[in-house]
Amino acid sequence: MATRTPALPLDQSLHDITTDIGRIPLRFPARIPWLIAFILSLALLTLFLASITYLFARGVGIWGLNIPVNWAFAIHLYVWWLGLGHAGTLISAMLLLMGQDWRNSLNRFAEAMTVCAVICAGMEPIIHLGRPWFLYWMFPYPATMGVWPQFRSPLEWDIWAVLTYLTVSIIFWYIGLVPDLATVRDRAKKRGWQLFFGIFALGWRGSARHWAVWQKTYRTIAAIAVPLVVSVHSEVSLLFASGQIPGWHSTIFPPYFVLGAAYSGFAMVAMIAVVMRHTFRLGDIVTERHLDVLAKVTLAMGMMTAYGYVFEVFDGYYSGNAHEIATIHDRFFGIYAWSFWGAVIFNFIPLQGLWLRSVRRNPVLLFLIATSSVIGMWLERYMILVTSLYKDFLPSSFGHYTPTFWDWSTYIGMLGLFMTPFLLFVRYLPSISIFEDKEVLAREKEEAGRG
Amino acid sequence: MAEPLLGLIGEFGTADALLAAARQAKSDGFQRIDAFSPYPIEGMADVLALKHDHRIGWITIAGGLFGIFGMLAIQLFVNWDYPIEVGGRPLLAWPAFAVVDFELMILCAVLFAVVGMFVIIGLPRLHHPLFSTPRFGLASDDRFFLYVDARDPKFDANATRTYLGSLGAWTVQPVQP
Repeated sequence: MATRTPALPLDQSLHDITTDIGRIPLRFPARIPWLIAFILSLALLTLFLASITYLFARGVGIWGLNIPVNWAFAIHLYVWWLGLGHAGTLISAMLLLMGQDWRNSLNRFAEAMTVCAVICAGMEPIIHLGRPWFLYWMFPYPATMGVWPQFRSPLEWDIWAVLTYLTVSIIFWYIGLVPDLATVRDRAKKRGWQLFFGIFALGWRGSARHWAVWQKTYRTIAAIAVPLVVSVHSEVSLLFASGQIPGWHSTIFPPYFVLGAAYSGFAMVAMIAVVMRHTFRLGDIVTERHLDVLAKVTLAMGMMTAYGYVFEVFDGYYSGNAHEIATIHDRFFGIYAWSFWGAVIFNFIPLQGLWLRSVRRNPVLLFLIATSSVIGMWLERYMILVTSLYKDFLPSSFGHYTPTFWDWSTYIGMLGLFMTPFLLFVRYLPSISIFEDKEVLAREKEEAGRG
Repeated sequence: MAEPLLGLIGEFGTADALLAAARQAKSDGFQRIDAFSPYPIEGMADVLALKHDHRIGWITIAGGLFGIFGMLAIQLFVNWDYPIEVGGRPLLAWPAFAVVDFELMILCAVLFAVVGMFVIIGLPRLHHPLFSTPRFGLASDDRFFLYVDARDPKFDANATRTYLGSLGAWTVQPVQP
């Protein structure tokens, strides 16, 4: 099997993997950088809490949104966060089913990233509700008022889609984590760690009977999670299609949204992989080959997203509808043209560097290109919302949207809501899959042994 | 022997050694054996005859059906119980219902699968006699263990100990309650 280059260096043993990854929670290597990052993210979290406290006190009027642009940052960021999350599920589930060994070094923290991003995504429509304390009205419970939620409303789609996605992401992440928690439990020397990991490992002991059932369940959930990702982001695009505004009706919307989501998500995973690899010196586990493959997938997703852009413009002109064409022109030349061209430039110009092998294998360049993609997708989601909403059918109802201080503070603070749980995860749990990497290493050694 | 014995556990160095030992023990007539490894070993399920267990699949399907039809029933009921007329649109809006039905199908399928898994494998169970067996902690690191239960009809404390050694076990430990 000399045709396949191994994903992991063969000069390490199974025990090396245990110590390489297991040491991170037990004897944390990068205390100072972690502490700085954690303090920063707590500061952002505080900003977020202050922003939403003021929001709850005063209402959504503190944001810049108004008729006609009544969906702005909250919905645009909902789409953006959810999109970032999708790559975690795709890496874990889709690549597991396709037997792609390289995913085993990336899936764990990609899934954790998904969980954190989905928490942020779910928060956005809730704080956009206006009266978020009535959130529970979305659930069908026998109220004394005798009313029921309106299941024909896209708001119901949102809550069930996000709730399902969050629950499934957490479950998938956790049952994949259980065998590794057992590994760390068995390595832990201090009583506190033994208790902590002992409880969460649920008494896992690696029995063949358990592995057999576990593997079936894990693969079953993976197979279910792939259509879930597609359905969740399609649902988000249908949210737009159920409005009447021009610019939201292209039939390419569902795949265009799903691919754009996967694109930004893979870019995000690449960013996190580069940072973790550097901070924890995991060069033997997250190798250059991992970065290379990750960059290739990002490139492919990016080019498919670019196709979505082309087709969306084509679709607008092909419709022959004056309002659709006017919206396309507004995107090209209107006062929000910067968001369209910004998205095009950030998304697709630096991305072309990934055609070169030397760029793909250069962590710094990969990090910068991935950052550009994430910014580009941020601009794209903004563009889709605002350029469509600010001019609809009647000139009398044209308007503008400018984000206020509170729009920005809620968004920037929310980065803290994303980073805080993620940093805690990196600090206290095995952030790379130990047993799955052992599986890969054992298989590769066997293949190398056969020649 | 005054000490009660639950079984014997032999330690192996590689997955292949464990697989070969398990296969040999099975063909030599041992029935109550189990294998412990840091990662799932391909082929082990075949050896221990665990391959034909399709319970998880059926449980998942049951969960999916429960989710999709349960949610559909709720949606139909609430629209019938509290009809909201919006511009003459149909009360029973099947396409609009489909999104939530699909999500609930997935949610219930996954919840059923996970709960089913824990019930089948009998976890969480925080304590187990194996945990107090010396060296067993290495089963989550880089060692592979073969366990023979004392209730096995072919089990004999001394003979089985020798037998595990003949299969290539590096150490053989008694498992005590």
